[in-house]
Amino acid sequence: MLTIQNLSKTYPGGVRALRGVSLEIPPGMFGLLGPNGAGKSTLMKILATLLEPDTGSAKLGDLDLVANKDETRRLLGYLPQEFGVYPKMSAAQLLNHLAVMKGIDNAGERKEIVEGLLQQTNLWDVRKKALGGFSGGMKQRFGIAQALLANPKLIIVDEPTAGLDPAERNRFLNLLSSIGRNVVVILSTHIVDDVRELCSRMAMISNGELLLEGAPGQAIDAMKGRIWTKVVETDAERNAIEKSFSIVSTHLIGGQHEVRIYSDSTPGDGFHGTDADLEDVYFLNLSRHQAAAAKPH
Amino acid sequence: MFWHFFMFELRLRMRSISTYVFFLIPFTMMFFAVSVEDFGPIPPGKILVNGPFALFQCYLDLTAFGAILIAAIFGPAILRDFHQDTYQLLFTKPISKFAYLGGRWAGSFVTAVFVFSGLVFGGIVGTFMPWADRSRLAPVHLLWSLQPFLSVTVIQIFFLGALFFCVAALTRRLVVVYLQGVALFAVYLILLAVVVATNRLDRFWPSIFDPLGIVLRDNITRYWTVAEKNTQLVGWHGLFLYNRLTWIAVGVIALVLTCVLFPMSAEVLGARGSSRRALAARKIDEAEKASRPRFAPGARQVERSFSGWSLIEQIASMTKMRFFNITREVVFWAICLCMIALVMVNGRFAGDANGATVWPVTYLTLSVVSGSSGLFLFIIAALYAGELIWRERDVRFEQIHDSLPLRDWSDWLSKFFALSAVEVVLVSIVAVCGVASQAFNGYFRFELTQYAKELYLVYLPQLIMVVFLALFVHTLVSNKFVGHAIIIGFFILIPVLYRYGVENRLVLYGEITPYTYSDMNGYGHFVKALFWISSYWLFVGAFLSVLAIVLARRGADLSWGNRMRLARPRFAQLIPAALLFLAAAGTCGAWFYHNTHVVNVFRTAKETRHRQAEYEKLYKKYERAPRPKVTAVDVSVDIYPERRSFEGSGYFTLVNKSGTPIEEVYITDGQESVDGIRFDRLAQITMRDSKHFYTTYKLAQPLAPGETMRMDFRVSKEQRGFKDGNERPELAYNGTFFDRDYFPFVGYNTNLELDNPARRREEGLGPLEELAPRGDPYYSNVNLFSPDADWISFHALVSTSADQVAIAPGYLKREWTEGGRHHFEYDMGDTKIANFYSFLSARYAVKRDRWKNVKLEIYYHPGHEFNLDKMMEASKNGLDYYEKNFSPFQFDQFRVLEFPRYRGFAQSFPNTVPYSESIGFIERMKKPDDIDLLYFVTAHELAHQWWGHQLIGSQTQGSNMMSESLAEYSALKIMEHRYGQEMLRKDLRYELDRYLRGRGGEVRHEPPLVLVQREPYVWYSKGSLVMFALADYIGEDKVNEALRNFLMKNRYASGPYPDTRGFVAALREVTPPEYQHAITDMFESIVLFDNRAVSASYVETPDHKYKVTLAVKGQKRQADGSGNESPMAIDDYIDIGVFSGPSKDHMKPLYLQKHHITQEDTTLEEIVDEKPTYAGIDPYFKLIDRNPEDNVIEVEKKK
Repeated sequence: MLTIQNLSKTYPGGVRALRGVSLEIPPGMFGLLGPNGAGKSTLMKILATLLEPDTGSAKLGDLDLVANKDETRRLLGYLPQEFGVYPKMSAAQLLNHLAVMKGIDNAGERKEIVEGLLQQTNLWDVRKKALGGFSGGMKQRFGIAQALLANPKLIIVDEPTAGLDPAERNRFLNLLSSIGRNVVVILSTHIVDDVRELCSRMAMISNGELLLEGAPGQAIDAMKGRIWTKVVETDAERNAIEKSFSIVSTHLIGGQHEVRIYSDSTPGDGFHGTDADLEDVYFLNLSRHQAAAAKPH
Repeated sequence: MFWHFFMFELRLRMRSISTYVFFLIPFTMMFFAVSVEDFGPIPPGKILVNGPFALFQCYLDLTAFGAILIAAIFGPAILRDFHQDTYQLLFTKPISKFAYLGGRWAGSFVTAVFVFSGLVFGGIVGTFMPWADRSRLAPVHLLWSLQPFLSVTVIQIFFLGALFFCVAALTRRLVVVYLQGVALFAVYLILLAVVVATNRLDRFWPSIFDPLGIVLRDNITRYWTVAEKNTQLVGWHGLFLYNRLTWIAVGVIALVLTCVLFPMSAEVLGARGSSRRALAARKIDEAEKASRPRFAPGARQVERSFSGWSLIEQIASMTKMRFFNITREVVFWAICLCMIALVMVNGRFAGDANGATVWPVTYLTLSVVSGSSGLFLFIIAALYAGELIWRERDVRFEQIHDSLPLRDWSDWLSKFFALSAVEVVLVSIVAVCGVASQAFNGYFRFELTQYAKELYLVYLPQLIMVVFLALFVHTLVSNKFVGHAIIIGFFILIPVLYRYGVENRLVLYGEITPYTYSDMNGYGHFVKALFWISSYWLFVGAFLSVLAIVLARRGADLSWGNRMRLARPRFAQLIPAALLFLAAAGTCGAWFYHNTHVVNVFRTAKETRHRQAEYEKLYKKYERAPRPKVTAVDVSVDIYPERRSFEGSGYFTLVNKSGTPIEEVYITDGQESVDGIRFDRLAQITMRDSKHFYTTYKLAQPLAPGETMRMDFRVSKEQRGFKDGNERPELAYNGTFFDRDYFPFVGYNTNLELDNPARRREEGLGPLEELAPRGDPYYSNVNLFSPDADWISFHALVSTSADQVAIAPGYLKREWTEGGRHHFEYDMGDTKIANFYSFLSARYAVKRDRWKNVKLEIYYHPGHEFNLDKMMEASKNGLDYYEKNFSPFQFDQFRVLEFPRYRGFAQSFPNTVPYSESIGFIERMKKPDDIDLLYFVTAHELAHQWWGHQLIGSQTQGSNMMSESLAEYSALKIMEHRYGQEMLRKDLRYELDRYLRGRGGEVRHEPPLVLVQREPYVWYSKGSLVMFALADYIGEDKVNEALRNFLMKNRYASGPYPDTRGFVAALREVTPPEYQHAITDMFESIVLFDNRAVSASYVETPDHKYKVTLAVKGQKRQADGSGNESPMAIDDYIDIGVFSGPSKDHMKPLYLQKHHITQEDTTLEEIVDEKPTYAGIDPYFKLIDRNPEDNVIEVEKKK
């Protein structure tokens, strides 16, 4: 269990990236959802020992991640949001090197593990190629391979699917899902589907604050029967709806605008009910939070 | 459109801070060059540091080294669009190629001109600094700044900029631009090395094709006198014009090529850059798609460890990775290849030291290969320190890297190890290059242990110190380029600090004490100092690295606040290491300090000069005070080579020859070696100034005129511990050589006076006193070489360690071993000698021979047998010639003794010639027409036994030429008889070069030969030239007759001593009237010719002979001491020659006659039997000609 308490971080420029975030993260996949700039990466970097929080603590069991960085790093598998590689090394070389760094000192064992990971991540056939020639997806899979090295107890993957094509993304999510159940895996993303497909639990943060925490199913259940849709023809029509209801999202479907609204009761007037999904949870929470933030305190 | 791009480029540059940083570089360099003594290339003397020549030279040098700035300005102008991928936006718009390229180029050009205008502004601002030496500054003269700026710097910017721009535009890769820069520079250095090493005096073509102008400058201004250097600009004519036009043309061609070949389309440009990458990616993709998906094996337990062996393995893995990061770079190998090329080329010339060829012995080869690799190894250390420190951040791997379970110090250590390993590999490459170049040179005595010692124990630690520093700086500084600038600045600062009197090497990072390897003495007494100072700096470096580890970047927050926060726990952890290194550095430093500052007195160069100046100020008043003269020296000297010490005692017999009673005796103890003095009568020390090595003794009973007195003394020099440089070269474990300087000197010693005018000004002294004029009543009676004696008798007991031989002048009377020491007794008997004696001791091998009744001996270092026979031959030929032509040899023996190369001369003591190991013992004549310097030097020193040990002049103007010029003439004569005219002419051509260059560097004023004072270029080079010219006019026998007459008349004269008035009279006596004025010109004035062949053609006559028509110009000028010239009417007999032969170096005379030339332009016709190829005036440069290259031209067939 990873316990995060009251974490805050303000950057030297005055940007408050985290404002007293507290979270309980059980083993298994945990999704961290939020728009760009919400503070996800900051939180991840703090957990990955790359940043010092201003206040608060993060503990994995008894281990204080902030105070005891050396210990933390030994348990950690980290895939940053953006990373490069040494362009002239091959995947196998770099992975082997990282395995040494992660303390796998038995050469035979190391070889086995590295080769296993290369196969798992489907990089086996290109293992001897220079990393400089890898495509985005391959590089991303290499990233996950290195994050999985040496059985980490805490795996942090920051926006891993950004920029992947659907097939790549699929393969990538499959891989993530194969990670053992007793490991804490934190997956940050701004893609709702990632969380829906993978995570048993999730949290949403925006503007450095925690909006919601729980199982995706629960959150969806809470909205059951409260999401309504309507296809609108004109902007005027849309504006009219906006005045009387809280719009969750507007989608283009076949060139027409479909408006989804949240309403406890039937809005009538051409709306019909629909199943709530995680995206609705996401958008609704975001817009409520923004509305709250816009109000003068 | 053009205007738009131009202004865009210019605005961009003018907003960029780098432009102003670049500006500051030439500005600062020039500022210091003008305002600070010794910073610039102009040696202290009379040349104005802001005069036209000085500015020309500074601009040229700084622009040459500023080529890197030019690359940095022009390269990015075009690469920027490709790095930022803006080219796609740009080239899809309708813009013309000319506007785009031209605008970018012109903008860069203006920027570069602005940057280099720092030269002009720096120089001008420097002029007004209060600390600048006023006497070497002229008022600001804009033309002197602007003309060279335009003709050197701006043109350089133009064509180098065009070249760099061209390469950048056509390859669009920054790496290639840098590589090109490095490669050009290396090629230039290589060609320069070749040009310098071949040592040809005719450098016409190298001058024309010299892009940076170093050879060009030398060729144009080498013979400029001080007056010319202070008034004359390098004008747009001749060589300079051709060179500039050549390179402007190169620049234009580069620009045209750029414009023609640059593909102005986003498609082509994009495709080329990314096609390779895309192709590679596609291949990988395909390979991957073909593979089957695999399923994850269950997670398994793994053994993990982070200490002990695993830790070592981790560091090793990291080191290996970083090592390959460096060595897989193309740039790295390009730098290496350049280094290897330069090392090999320079290694090829390792034996071409100072114009003569010597065997490329290991110490010479080592100094050449390590010297030429130094810059590269330094660049690699500094450059890759930056790359390593920033590596993860540059490739954006830092987040993964920094969250690895690594200790803070193991990451840093791996960087240090990797870079050190790279340096070790490179140093090994240098070693291989050294051995290879020795082999290529046909020298197979590889001293591998010496290679190992020099390269791995002395050289490598210095590189490691640079590695430490560079890693430290790059860790601290948050910008790579600022880091590089700091490191470069640091290494520029060190010599500046040193010049400013910070000579304590404990405070100059990475500086080690200077040392010299000698075949005789090995690393000898330098070992201890080297060990301690190297250890000291390595520990300081290690301490710096602890600080660097503490402050190393880790994580995402690089603010200083956060770094300090991270530093605290790290520092706590590393305190033991920090303390250990600090303590070790402290111990080594303290021991070094103790030895260099406590056990030995430490004096900066300035302090030493100050003492000399004070000595002069305080005691010059005693210069002419009556002093007793030494008539006999009897000493006993015990040399302890293993301690680098000696002790001696003995006595001088002093006689009052002055005519007045002497009450006070003054003793100068210049080497601080005199322990005690006792007279044979009561004497009281009335003044002892040990700071200025001067003591006054008042005799209880004055020494009456003609009376004799005995003065006993004890002397010793004990070399304790070690020094920080300035080790006495006289004392060595093997190869001790010291002379009478270590014995008391009676009276004030003018030799201790400072002679450099700038240094004298610094000390508030007036100009150095000129030597007394000839006939000066006081100095006519003073011996030129030893004012405290006339002629002496000499007896010495010398002892040394059992395995060494000790030598002093005199005949060996006795040799015995007693108490484990080797004793010798030397006695000069009745033969009087000059008061000039030496003591040597070493483990010698001896070669013996005999000439008539004279014993010939060479004491040499075993292994240096190369030239012993030739040395013997030179001695015999010399004895033959000098006895036959001058006078009998006064001794029964002649000995040559080798001494370590800490000093590089040979010196003639009575029947004893110490001869440095560096100048002859290892000579090698590669080609039969190489000048045989060994033969010449041996003959020269032998000739001093006549000119210097039989004939000594008075201490007045001109007397030096009677020893040096005559020894030079004598030696050249026997060389001519041994090797023929060819070699002699070649040698004289170099003498002419040395003379003309010498007068260009004169710091006081140039005297005519017979008034020479302290000007070696006059007494050696001009002396040889005019003595030979005279012999050519009146005949060798006539000159020798005059010399013999003069010598016999003045042999052993002891007051009044002869001077050059008598010498000139002796010459005039044997010279026919038509050449009398030549004596005036050559000996008594400074006269220069500028003879030139204007045109030459031939027609074949009906009887198959060739009629040559030759037009020549003869000009003659008289110069004053500063080099101001005034025309003189020509009225001289000058050689006119017509030659056959393939080149100017191999000409066979068909006609060679002296013609009486009386007007500037003369046209002559001669008939010769063979087809002529060359003709000219004074073809063998017998006269002093400022432009000897144009004396001979090709003969053309007349149409």
